Amino acid sequence: MSNKIAIALLVCIGVVVLLAISELPLYGSPDTPAQNYVAERYIEGALSDTGALNMVAAIVIDYRAYDTLIETTVLFTAIIAVFLVLKKGTDRKGEHK
Amino acid sequence: MGELWSRVLQNYPYVFALALFAIGIYTILTHSNLFKKVIGINIMEGSTYILFIAAGNVRGGVAPILDMGDPGLVYVHPLPQALMLTGIVVSVSVTALSLALITKLYRFYGTVDAKEIMKIRSEVRANAGRD
Repeated sequence: MSNKIAIALLVCIGVVVLLAISELPLYGSPDTPAQNYVAERYIEGALSDTGALNMVAAIVIDYRAYDTLIETTVLFTAIIAVFLVLKKGTDRKGEHK
Repeated sequence: MGELWSRVLQNYPYVFALALFAIGIYTILTHSNLFKKVIGINIMEGSTYILFIAAGNVRGGVAPILDMGDPGLVYVHPLPQALMLTGIVVSVSVTALSLALITKLYRFYGTVDAKEIMKIRSEVRANAGRD
């Protein structure tokens, strides 16, 4: 029963999103709003700004270096949380072995 | 109506992303096994990557690695790819934490099934009310 409810919900969402997809700029066309001066700036300036041939690496490590730095904090927090959760001896509530 | 369908068909990578997203939500909604719910979340994340990277694509574009020998090359947008690299790290963190929590739940309740856990919890609460 909940299976059918889920499918009905997904069909509703799917129809709305399909209508939205029909309004999106066509896939791969070079004059979409996504292909604006930002892409041009990165593609033309990456080598002279950062010296990297790979533009994705230039963005990740140079243009958005703070983003990457804080991202390592996210990873660190997740690892610490995993170690805290999996710590032995706290399997029962209030019972520390 | 015909024009609408032709536009949808031309945007087929977005439709593919939508299909993956729907599969992910369906997995989360219909499976009570917590591991399968995590798999559903990961499928949904994959659909987001496809949507973003498809939005950055240009017809005839090549991967954004500068080729000094050929100045006329068209490159795809490098920014969505860099952002999705960040997104993958976040998704790995979320997956690791949720898998650790599920392991913890298994040690506590002896099952990874959400419905079973709810049943055990309600029984415990009923017993506590009787005392």
